[in-house]
Parts: sequence; C-alpha cells; structure tokens
Amino acid sequence: MSSEGGGKARNRRGLSGWLNPYHYNFERWAYVFQRVTGIAILAYVIGHLGDTSFFVGGPIGTGPSQSSWTFISGIVENSFGHLILVLVVLVVIFHGTNGLRLIASEMGLILGRPASIEYPYKPRSLRLGQRALIWAAIILAVVGAAWAAMILFGGLA
Amino acid sequence: MKDLKLVVQRFDPVKDASPKMVEYAVPKREGMTVLDALLYARDYVDHSIGLRFSCRQASCGSCGMKINGRPRLACYTQVEELGGEKVVAQPMDNFAIIKDLVTDLGSFFDKHKAVTPRLVREDGEEQERPTGEYLMTPGELSKVLQFTYCIKCGLCTSSCPTVATDERYPGPQALTQAYRYSADARDQGGAERIAALDNSHGVWRCHFAGSCSYVCPKGVDPALGIQLLKRHVMTGKPPHAKDEASKVWKAPESGR
Repeated sequence: MSSEGGGKARNRRGLSGWLNPYHYNFERWAYVFQRVTGIAILAYVIGHLGDTSFFVGGPIGTGPSQSSWTFISGIVENSFGHLILVLVVLVVIFHGTNGLRLIASEMGLILGRPASIEYPYKPRSLRLGQRALIWAAIILAVVGAAWAAMILFGGLA
Repeated sequence: MKDLKLVVQRFDPVKDASPKMVEYAVPKREGMTVLDALLYARDYVDHSIGLRFSCRQASCGSCGMKINGRPRLACYTQVEELGGEKVVAQPMDNFAIIKDLVTDLGSFFDKHKAVTPRLVREDGEEQERPTGEYLMTPGELSKVLQFTYCIKCGLCTSSCPTVATDERYPGPQALTQAYRYSADARDQGGAERIAALDNSHGVWRCHFAGSCSYVCPKGVDPALGIQLLKRHVMTGKPPHAKDEASKVWKAPESGR
C-alpha cells in the first residue's frame, strides 16, 4: 500500500474498483458489462477496419484480389471466427440497448421524481423502470446472438 | 450464544509495511451492531484498534467503513443481518487510511465545499439583515427534500467506481448537493454551479452504476440527483431562472 504523505496510506481502488461489481447492485453489473463491451467493440472495430483496409488496398493490404479475399475470409470462415462473430452480435446489442437506457436515465426520463422517503429506504433510481430495460438489453442480446449462431453454425440464411 | 468472529483490518501507515487482518472473539447479544462489536473488542481485547464514531444512531456519519465487502455505517448494521457468524471490518475504499478503520475525509469535504453547497442569493443585504422569510411550496420542497438528508458519511464515494479511478471527479455526494441547491426554489446560483460541473472530470464522469444509491444509509439516492443534474447541464439551464427564485415574504401586521 503506497503512502499518501502525512502518515496516511493511499486506498483508492483503481481499476479493480470499476471492474469488480461483487457485493453491489444489478446496475453496477450492467455498468461493468457496458464498459467491458465498449472496449470489446472498439477492439472489433479496429480489427474490422484492418481487414477491410487489407482488402481494399489500404496501407497494410495488397488491394482487391481473389487471394486477399481468400486470406481475409479464411480468418472468419471457421468455427472460432463464427464464435467471435456471435459474441460481437451479443455485445453490440447489449451495449446499444443498455446505452439507450443510460441516455434515457441521463435525461431523467425513467428514474421517477424526488419525493418524501420512508424507512426502509428503496432508492427510486434503482427501481423497476430502468431495471427492466437492463433485462430487455440482456434478453435482446441473447436472442440476437442465438439468431446469429443459427445462421453461422446451422446454415440458416 | 456462540461468539462472533470479528475480523478487523489493522494498519498503521506510520509503523506497518502492509495491512493485516486480526480476528477477535466477541460475545454476541441480541440487537448487537457492528459498532457495538468493535467497541467491545477495543474496550476489552485490544485498546489500540483505531475507529471513529460519535452518535451511534446513523445521524453523524462518522462510523462509515467497509463491512463484509460493502460500505456501511457500523452503528446502523446489525450483526444478525450479516449472518451473525463473521463480520469483516475494513476502512472505506477510495479514502486514504489514517489508522485501521479511520480514513481521511479531507478531500471529500473539499469537494463538497467546491460545489457551493449553500443558497446563493443576489439580495446580500437581506441575507445579512433578514426582514422576512423565503417561502417554499410543498411541491418545491419535495424536489430537494430527500437530498437534504445527506449526513456526509462518505459511503457513496467509497462505493463509486468512478472515484476509484479519477481523483478529480467530485463524487456522488458533491454532485448530489450541487443539484440539491440548484433545484432549491430559494437559490439563484444554479447557472454558475452547473456550468462549473460541465467538464470531462465533472458530472459526465458518472455512468450510473447506482452503487451510491445502493449503499446510502439515509435514502438520499445520489444517482437520481446526479442524473437530474445532467439534464440541466445538457440544456445549460438551471432548474429555475434567477428571477423565479423565492421572494422575501413578510408576515402581515397583526394589528396589535
């Protein structure tokens, strides 16, 4: 534990503070998944820009040709590549839908209004209204991923 | 009744290289709070345990600490609600440790002060020498009442994942108080208060994890206050214009 000076020790959680939702509420788990899926989508987009660039003759590519197309499609046209694409569908749908919930929350639309409170305290902002939208994001993501899996693995087109 | 296993994180930054967990056996009794257990251990087992407390009734906000992994008030948490077998007490996260369970709340109070947590009025003379009262309707009061219950215990800040990584972030307590005063019908400082929070380390650092509201022992619901604040930051308009603030109300002459 590092020193903060004045005989005190630093105790800031750092990355583990936002990566570990254990002991906390459902929204905290959604928060972690939103951030992790955001990073995953960014990584996918960078990779996708890379392979597109390769095919269309960008700085790392050879230009449009049968061989470059075969090379690129060889990366994703296998079970592991399909699994990655199914995960991409899962995280994109969750991230997008949950993002809409966050935008609506930030506009104060789905949280209820401040009011008198009585014991035992139940925060209005953590009640069913916005929480139902987290479940909607999870369900849509799972359904979308299942649909993508059926197309990619089951030959459904 | 079986003894309670009380585990306390012991650490004196001046003397110790790293924290260590020390176990104490505490005789349980009905209605025992975690603070009761800690005080027993300090009074009868080890006088050197460092902890801070005052009112013992969840009014002062002094005994905030991490209990069984979650920020709670020690005086407001009964041993039985934690299962009654084992209680682990650690200092609050995101605050520097002074000794054992005692943390430094200095920067927390500085951030609170930085949002101008008081009514700002243009009628300075009236503030100095009041001639009447600023009235609020019940509806105006209900917009801010729950946010006034904050006891500044620091539990929300301890639970906040953004505070964990950004030292410049004001934190849920300060942001909620910024909304509380800006939405107060008697206040005229909302525009300045809100403008000061519209930056990359301000209100937009909140991503609505909601943990602040989850751990708040007074039902303040900081997450609600912060989201409502964002709406005003987004539009650039405070909850009410300066000239809409409460006027001074003077009691009519009684005629006696």
